Amino acid sequence: MRRITCVSIFAAIALLAAPGLSEAVPQASATKPAPPAPAEVHQTLSTRIVAYDIDAKLDATNHTIDATESLTYRNVTGQPQQTFPFHLYLNAFQPQSTFMTEVRLVGTRGTGPDAGWDKKHEGGIEVSKFEVEGAGDLTSKMEFIHPDDNNTNDRTVFQVTLPKPVAPGASVQFHISFHDKLPEVLHRTGYKRDFVMVGQWFPKVGVWWKNAWNCHQFHANSEFFADFGTFDVKLTLPQNEIVGAGGDLVSSANNADGTKTVAFHSEDVHDFSWTASPSYTVIEDSWTGSAGTVQIHLLMSPGNMATAPRYMQAAKGTLDLYDKWIGPYPYDRLTLVDPPHGASDAGGMEYPTLITLGTNWNMPKGALIPEVVTNHEFGHQYWYGMVATNEFEEAWLDEGINSYMEAKTMDALYGKDTSSLNFPFAKVGERGQLRVFYLMAPDTDPLTHFAWKFLDDSAYGAVTYGKTATVLLTLEKIIGEDKMREALHVYFLRYRFQHPTGEDFLKTIEEVSGQNLRWYFDQAVSGTNMLDYEILDVHSDPVVWWEKQPKKPAGKQDDTVYRNFVTLHRKGDFVFPVDVEIKFDNAPAVIEHWDGKDRWIRYEYERKAKVVSAEIDPTHGVWLDRNLFNNSYTVEPDQRAIHKLSNIWLFAAEWFQQMLAWLT
Amino acid sequence: MAEGNPKTFLAGAALVWRWQRLVWWIFVLSMVLGSYATKRMVDRAEPTLDHSLQSAPRLVHSFDLTAIAELSNQPDSPLEGPGHAGLHFSVIYMVFMLFATGGILVAYYRDERPTTGAFFEACGYHFWRFFRLLLYFALALIPTAILASIVRAVYSRIAEKSISPMPSVYFFCAAAVVILFLLIVTRLWFDMAQVIAVAEDEKKMRRALKISAGLLRRHFGSLFWLYFRISLIAWIIFGLGVYVWSHSLPPESTTTAFVLGQLVILSWIGTRLWQRASEALWYRKYRESAVVPPAYSPAPEPSPATYATAMN
Repeated sequence: MRRITCVSIFAAIALLAAPGLSEAVPQASATKPAPPAPAEVHQTLSTRIVAYDIDAKLDATNHTIDATESLTYRNVTGQPQQTFPFHLYLNAFQPQSTFMTEVRLVGTRGTGPDAGWDKKHEGGIEVSKFEVEGAGDLTSKMEFIHPDDNNTNDRTVFQVTLPKPVAPGASVQFHISFHDKLPEVLHRTGYKRDFVMVGQWFPKVGVWWKNAWNCHQFHANSEFFADFGTFDVKLTLPQNEIVGAGGDLVSSANNADGTKTVAFHSEDVHDFSWTASPSYTVIEDSWTGSAGTVQIHLLMSPGNMATAPRYMQAAKGTLDLYDKWIGPYPYDRLTLVDPPHGASDAGGMEYPTLITLGTNWNMPKGALIPEVVTNHEFGHQYWYGMVATNEFEEAWLDEGINSYMEAKTMDALYGKDTSSLNFPFAKVGERGQLRVFYLMAPDTDPLTHFAWKFLDDSAYGAVTYGKTATVLLTLEKIIGEDKMREALHVYFLRYRFQHPTGEDFLKTIEEVSGQNLRWYFDQAVSGTNMLDYEILDVHSDPVVWWEKQPKKPAGKQDDTVYRNFVTLHRKGDFVFPVDVEIKFDNAPAVIEHWDGKDRWIRYEYERKAKVVSAEIDPTHGVWLDRNLFNNSYTVEPDQRAIHKLSNIWLFAAEWFQQMLAWLT
Repeated sequence: MAEGNPKTFLAGAALVWRWQRLVWWIFVLSMVLGSYATKRMVDRAEPTLDHSLQSAPRLVHSFDLTAIAELSNQPDSPLEGPGHAGLHFSVIYMVFMLFATGGILVAYYRDERPTTGAFFEACGYHFWRFFRLLLYFALALIPTAILASIVRAVYSRIAEKSISPMPSVYFFCAAAVVILFLLIVTRLWFDMAQVIAVAEDEKKMRRALKISAGLLRRHFGSLFWLYFRISLIAWIIFGLGVYVWSHSLPPESTTTAFVLGQLVILSWIGTRLWQRASEALWYRKYRESAVVPPAYSPAPEPSPATYATAMN
């Protein structure tokens, strides 16, 4: 009922007015004027370097796409450019590609290592014609290159050298014909039954960055990097297909052969993806923020409808917080795609103004997976989408900052200790979950490794997502939560649409906080130092220890003077200043500050009191500490935790006994 | 006829109540073995948890799973090795139950209080027979296992083809009911074979299985209903217990949680023995009421004198 009400109201409004209507409402007639040429005629959000004009036809039966692409590239590199590299990402889905070789070796996105090869996962992209305006057909000049390895079988990057260079400030136009073969859903893209998720599907030019072409091969553990511009995409597909795309619907027209052609326009983005399925149920909603109203198109797959309100609530809540904390969301649309069952590998992915989510038919309310995925993928709209850092070389800037923001926003929306899992019998908070992720590989790689150069898939995830988030959560301890938020706000506003580097990010934090933080960044960001402090020893000894202590009369204060010792130990090689709170049974607590430079320190107190407990980091801000249990010590044991754990363990053991005994 | 007697179900419960010492002994053994399985975990986790201020807020006042993950991540990994211990002690318990079944069934079938010596003698007397039955049971489960794998394949195929996940879910639920039914029937068949082995002192387990199969075929309704009702009660108690534990008990509760958990285990043991008692009673009444010639020749060897003396 809720869905019907919501859809009917917004569908009516949207049909009349909204430009951001997806193909979910096939009768939509709202159109936009033709897009401006790459040379801007009005104020734009980004420096538009590329203008893609793609005309594609989907063969829904064979899961192939035939398309032509006109790419206008504006040379803003400041120097003549004669050689242009292009990505052909879909060629990763071939057994001898660098991508698959790495999947076999280290795994990716939960697959492998030693993953088998199934022909249905084969995909590819073939360029049948490559022409350059004014230079003619250069198809024969196409040359596959392997900038990252020596794998001559990898065909994910090619380059073409033009007969003459493109002058600085001038533009060049490429006309490319290509044929895509989609794999059955694999690593974000492909088909499943009547569903297609089409991402990284067209020849995409590399980025001139740091005074060189940056056009890496497709790796098992890396994502993407591209220049901003405009996209005008025409899709021809069967009339029953419901389409969602990362662009505003410009037109939709039925063709005589039972197909229809839908046209989308998108600007100030660096990629264009789309999805289609006749089985989608569309839910329209909107959200209004500081930059205006955003139309939200939610495409739900069969069986998952119960999750729709959860997706929508998470999306709006996250939009609110990002708008408030980080900056405005400048686009007028957001498309949320719920992949069908069996296509979960297409889920949990971000594209400009389109994100893919994930749930299943029986997702319990206490498992906040749909909310986390929605929150996380939307967050990418800021870091991957607008700030647009290089995900090949500095994945932590996108995934890591986004994971940190995921912890902050999910905690604000769903409760600090319940933002990931919220059952009566078990709870998990987002920051705790990210910290556990970090603990899977706390010291294998620095954050700054290139995405494909991590030890393995697990280390890539643990470090890029978990450790970066934990590093930033710990940074709050040093500069304060407000400064941290302000730093992200400044970083976003300053560098959106700019492709900043890690150094830009770190400098922004230092600038906003007014602190030199190199000591921290050297260890946490570019180093692999391990942070682990422990209370090594706590004991109280009577000063006059050789004399027998008189028994304390009942109700009287103990007048014995004790020499109390508390010893702290830095177990890891990460030097981090910490506070320690020492509590006494008959005296006020003491807070000491230790710079952590030595391996250990011992505090001594002579009091008419004994130490009750000592705790390093009593405010619990040093999330990077790999073992929080040894950060404190109580003289009197508290056995409640072990009793609870042993209760559960005992019950499970006895239950298992009964199950086995049933066989007899 | 036993199936005509509606009181078998309650009489079985009364039998378990009358010889409740058996339930208590098995329960104590289960708890002792469970405690051993738990001890290694406690020994390894206790030094970490007992003196840390992190333990109470993360594990007592709530149950933060990240604390468990962190505990597993400790250098000596307190939660890793003890899992194997749980398996070892469960196997010991299983072997013991295989051993004890003979004594239990003799007690129930004869409705007499066995002496300790007689009980264990009966256990030993029937052990190898029941061990052979266990092997046959494993063989008998093969068709069900094959069916389960077929179900899995069909489930995958339906899931693969169907746009909605629900057809495969409905199929899975229906298939699960069928598989559960087959498992119950197989268990019941072997339960009755054990009863026959005890009641008739049948040495040949294949023959016991054959007779049991015939009985089951002829009296399927009453036997199945007898078994199923008690299983249902066991699962309801289990579900309620787990629900109360997870939803109603305060997270700090340890004593009440312990008592509740053990009551659930006790009820599980009790209901399983209730099934055994009801089956033995059913067969006794069946024999008493049936005027049929012996279906087979008596076993050539007499029962050991010690067993006969002790149990009569």
